[in-house]
Amino acid sequence: MRNLRYLLYIAILIILLTLPLYTGVYLLNVMDIILIYIALALSWDMLLRSGQISFGIAGLFGVGGYGAVLLHLNLGISPLFSILMGGVAAGALAWLVGMAVLQLRGMYFAIVTLALAEIFRVIIRNFPDLTGGPEGTVLPSAIFAGNSTKTYWLVLAVAVVSVMASEIFRRTRIHFALTSIRNDEIVARSSGIDVFKYLVFIFVITSAIQGMTGGAYAHIYGFVSPEGSFSVDFTLLPIAMALLGGMHSTWGPVVGGILLGVVSEFLKLQIPYGHLLVYGLIIVITILFFPQGILGTLGQKLKKTGNG
Amino acid sequence: MNLLSKLKQSSYQITIISFVLAIILAIWKPHVLIEGIQRACLYAVIALPMALILGIVGIINLAHGDFMMLGAYFAYFLNVYTGMDPLVAIFPALLAFFLIGIASYRAIIKYVLGAPELNQLLLTFGLAMIMEQLANLLWTSRPIKLPLSYVSSSATIGSFTFGTFEFVYIGAAIIVLSGLLLFLKRTSTGQAALAVGQNPRGAKLVGIHVDRTYLLIFSLSIALVGAIGVIFMTRHSIFPLVGAPFTMKSFCLIAMAGIGNLVGILWCSLILGLAENFVLSFRGYAGWADILFFALIVLVIMVRSHQRQVK
Repeated sequence: MRNLRYLLYIAILIILLTLPLYTGVYLLNVMDIILIYIALALSWDMLLRSGQISFGIAGLFGVGGYGAVLLHLNLGISPLFSILMGGVAAGALAWLVGMAVLQLRGMYFAIVTLALAEIFRVIIRNFPDLTGGPEGTVLPSAIFAGNSTKTYWLVLAVAVVSVMASEIFRRTRIHFALTSIRNDEIVARSSGIDVFKYLVFIFVITSAIQGMTGGAYAHIYGFVSPEGSFSVDFTLLPIAMALLGGMHSTWGPVVGGILLGVVSEFLKLQIPYGHLLVYGLIIVITILFFPQGILGTLGQKLKKTGNG
Repeated sequence: MNLLSKLKQSSYQITIISFVLAIILAIWKPHVLIEGIQRACLYAVIALPMALILGIVGIINLAHGDFMMLGAYFAYFLNVYTGMDPLVAIFPALLAFFLIGIASYRAIIKYVLGAPELNQLLLTFGLAMIMEQLANLLWTSRPIKLPLSYVSSSATIGSFTFGTFEFVYIGAAIIVLSGLLLFLKRTSTGQAALAVGQNPRGAKLVGIHVDRTYLLIFSLSIALVGAIGVIFMTRHSIFPLVGAPFTMKSFCLIAMAGIGNLVGILWCSLILGLAENFVLSFRGYAGWADILFFALIVLVIMVRSHQRQVK
């Protein structure tokens, strides 16, 4: 049974890797967006498993993007390595913020992260010489000279990294530590878990993934700007995807990401100035009617019919 | 939650410090003092309803600033279609947003009262997004402003001129704060609300209708913040995202004052308002003013977590 499952993963991976052979450029671009959102949704969910909620996805995503682009332009670091460094930059920032505010949790942490995107936007506007100010910075050329197959592989690698990180976190003792922190912090503390250390650790890791995704995104589209890189899209969509698919799991955010990623392509064309409204609605409806998400609700139904 | 004791403890020291600072400022930069106080009162009056909801209903309403934004648009369209003056529109806005408050409590908020804090945060975040995006869809992101002549009135003392209309914020802050304190202290409904805020189960045991109290407090707060939106739009241009920073600034003030401390919010907003105007008064550094509240909130969280560890 276990071997079968691994075979299935490998088969899916091979299909995804060879996708550029039998599809066109448009579908690859759509896949890029979907995979980027899946990476963001997964990393957000990984932090959620510890009971902490971050609204700062767009902030860390933008920091990663700016970090990657500025390092590439000013220090001449190769694009691929600068994407990694963008992740490191976002992780370092998350470490600073986490050390400062993770002692008080829950809503305090949530609001601080909610402000992150706005704060970074202000900072970037105030250093126009370095960051290009409100207009942003344009790269001389996109990564791989805009080759859609290679960009797709890059984004696929980012998404696979986040899926693997999520699976590793689910299968090791970190999973039990985080789950017990979420369920009851006092119990977690009394069984010897260093709550603060674990929370900072998971916040840094998830932020690094978000920063790396931001770096990849910035290099693919070849520019960063305060409005574009810190857009609320990058906070709202991943949250809606993870919630719709089902939180606290690896495959929930993936399924939600695929579903909403496809839907968002239609929505952008249908209502260009209000398509984010739909994701707000999805968040509210999911929380009110099926907080377990699609996968969680289906799982419960299956269990019930299996027992009955 | 103990309003009276907190008032006695903290306001005494803070008053002395702020008086000294105010005198220094008045001599050095009188503009900063006057405009800072006006701005501070605007912050306070927006944060008060949010503090009320957080203290009694126990929900952090991330859509708070967006209710204010809706109030501002409400007054704008009332003026465009009926010619009603925004300052008169406060009263229909109070009524309309009381009803909106009832509707949102009944339809949405009620169902997450017992849910984990995570779900409450996500829900109000989703609500905020819906409101912002709906406004964006209906009225576009173009900033709009009513041409009102009386808002730019000004007075001159000696060599320096300042706007007088903004004193409306100070009036609003005094009215709302004293009104809320009177309501919570002197009326039986207010006392019941305080009791519910302290211990909902206990309040239920002594026969207080908890659900109705939540409904009343939530709708009252939404009505207040809607009406504040009306006052806000007289002086500022409005756009769909205009309310979002106020949600965060309000939370910053509540965290500084401590949950349940209504009077403290006024003092804390004075700190924030004066500090922001102080930074704004330096040419070239004005862009950093928007970051102050974040620095304050991080500082407050660090101090509070330190205090908790020492205890």
